[in-house]
Amino acid sequence: MLAIWKRELQSYFYTPVGYVFMGVFLSLSGLFFYMLVLDARSSDVLTFLGQISYLWMLLSPVLTMRLLAEERQKRTDQLLLTSPVSLPGVVLGKYLAAVTVMACTVLLTLVYVLVVALYGAVYPGELMVGYLGFILQGSAFLALDLYISGCSSNQVTAAVSAFGANLALWLMDLLAGGVTQTWLQDVLSFFSLYQRYNPFLMGQLSFASIGFDLAFIAAFLAMTVHSLDSRRYRGV
Amino acid sequence: MIELCNVTKRYGTTEAVSGLSFSAPEGQIVGLLGQNGAGKTTTLNMLTGYFPPTSGRVRVNGMDMLQRPRECKRCIGYLPERPPLYDEMTVTAYLTFVCQLKEVRREDIPRHIGQIMETCGLKEVAQRRVGNLSKGYRQRAGVAQALCGNPPVLVLDEPTVGLDPRQVKEIRELIRRLGKEHTVIFSSHLLPEIQQLCQRVVILHKGKLIREADMAELTGGDGEIIRLRATIAMKERLLMPALNSLECVRRVKVLPTPDADYTELEMECLRETGRGRAQAQLFRLLAGLDAPLMQLAVAKDTLEEAFLRATAEE
Repeated sequence: MLAIWKRELQSYFYTPVGYVFMGVFLSLSGLFFYMLVLDARSSDVLTFLGQISYLWMLLSPVLTMRLLAEERQKRTDQLLLTSPVSLPGVVLGKYLAAVTVMACTVLLTLVYVLVVALYGAVYPGELMVGYLGFILQGSAFLALDLYISGCSSNQVTAAVSAFGANLALWLMDLLAGGVTQTWLQDVLSFFSLYQRYNPFLMGQLSFASIGFDLAFIAAFLAMTVHSLDSRRYRGV
Repeated sequence: MIELCNVTKRYGTTEAVSGLSFSAPEGQIVGLLGQNGAGKTTTLNMLTGYFPPTSGRVRVNGMDMLQRPRECKRCIGYLPERPPLYDEMTVTAYLTFVCQLKEVRREDIPRHIGQIMETCGLKEVAQRRVGNLSKGYRQRAGVAQALCGNPPVLVLDEPTVGLDPRQVKEIRELIRRLGKEHTVIFSSHLLPEIQQLCQRVVILHKGKLIREADMAELTGGDGEIIRLRATIAMKERLLMPALNSLECVRRVKVLPTPDADYTELEMECLRETGRGRAQAQLFRLLAGLDAPLMQLAVAKDTLEEAFLRATAEE
C-alpha cells in the first residue's frame, strides 16, 4: 500500500496532473481570496473557505480520473493484481495519494491566512475547524470520484462522469432549497456534502458532519473495492 | 509447482476455457501452445491470480490461489501480453516500485535491481523513461519486472510477439537462461519457438486441453511410441501380412515407391515389447523372410506435425 501511495504521489508530479491541479486551485482560490477578503476588507476566512469549497466539484476529478481508469486502460492493473497486494491496499494507496496532494494544496492557502493575520484578527480554533471541514469535504469528493474512476475504462469517461456526479450533488443541494415538502428537504440535505460543511463554517466542530463525511468516504472506498473485485470475477 | 484442476472460465455466455487441467513441474520450461483465441491468455491470467476461474482450482506450490492469494502471488512473476509499464517513470524507478510491491527488503532493492538489469540487458537505459524505450527494451523491462522478488515461477504471455528477429532471438536466449533457475510457463502460437525452448508442451484448442506431453514424447523422440521409416526389398503384397503379425507394430502406412519390387513404409511401433526393441523385432522378421532391409530410420515429428495432428483429431 505504501509503495502504491508513493508511486502515485510521484506520478502526479512526473506528469502535469499535479501541477495543473495545484495551479488551478491556487489561482482560483487566490482570486476568491482577493474578492472576498482583500477587496471586501474583511478578515472572515471561513466565508472564503465556504466559497472555494465549490472548486472541489471541478477539480476533484482532475486528481482521480487517472488513478484507476488508466491502470485499466494500459493494463498495468495486471501488475498490481498479480502482486502480493490486497485490493483494498491498492485502492487505499491510490486514494491516500490523491488526498495527500489535495491536503498539501489546501494547506498552501494558509499563506492567505497569514496575510489576514498580519492586518486583522484570525481565530485559530475557528480556522482549524474550518480547514478540517474543508479537507474532509475534499476527501469525500475524492472518494466519490475515485469510485467513478474505478468503474470507467478510460480517463475521459472517468473525468466527465465524475464531474457529472459532483454536479448532481450540488444540484441536489439546490433542490433541497427549492422543494416545499419538508421531509424531502431533510433527506436531500442529509446527504448534501455542502450542508454538511455549514457547521464548520460557523466554527462548530460538528461530530455529526465528521461522522457523515467519514462514512461517505468509507462507503465509496468499499464500493470501489467491490466494483474492482466484481470485475475480476467477471473477467473483463 | 503449478497445478490447474478442471478450470473453467466463462465471459458472460462464452466459455473461453473449459475443464482445463494440467501441471507445470518444478524446474521445467512449459510451453502453452495454441492458435489465437485458443484461451492461452485467459489461462495465464487465472494461473497468476489476475482473475479467478469460474470454476475449478489453481494451486501454486500446493497452496490454493483463492484461499491464500498473497502466498501464491509471491511465488509468481508475470509478464502479461502487454508489459505493465508506467510510461512516466524511469526504468530504475519502475523496477524499484515493483520490488516494493513484491515485498523485497528495502536494503536489498538496489542490488537486486542491478542484477536484474544485468540479466535483461537494461543497464544502458536505466535512467531513461519507460515511455521513451523501444519495443525491444519495453519487452525486456517487462521480463525484468517479472523477475523482481526472484519468484520461483515465471509466467510469460507471448513474450516474443512483435519483436524483430534479433530481439526474438535475445528474448528466447533469456528465457532459456531463466529456465535453469525458474519454472517457466510461457505461451506462444509459434511452434518452432516452443520446440526450441520447452521441455513440456500443453496444447490448447478452443479453450480445451488437447494434449499435454513432454516435448520428446510429442515429437517421437523417446516416448512409448516410435515411428520407423523403412525401405524393404520385397513386394508389398508378400510383406504386409508378416509385418502386421509383428507384436510391436501398431499401424503401417505404405508410401508410394517408383519400384514395385521395393516397399517403402512408415510404421508406428511400440518402442519395446517383451520380444525386444521394435527395430530388432523388425530386423529378425525380415531376416526370416529373406527380405533385405535397404533403409531404416526413426522418423521424428516436428512439433508442427504433432500440433496439426492433435488439432485435426479434435
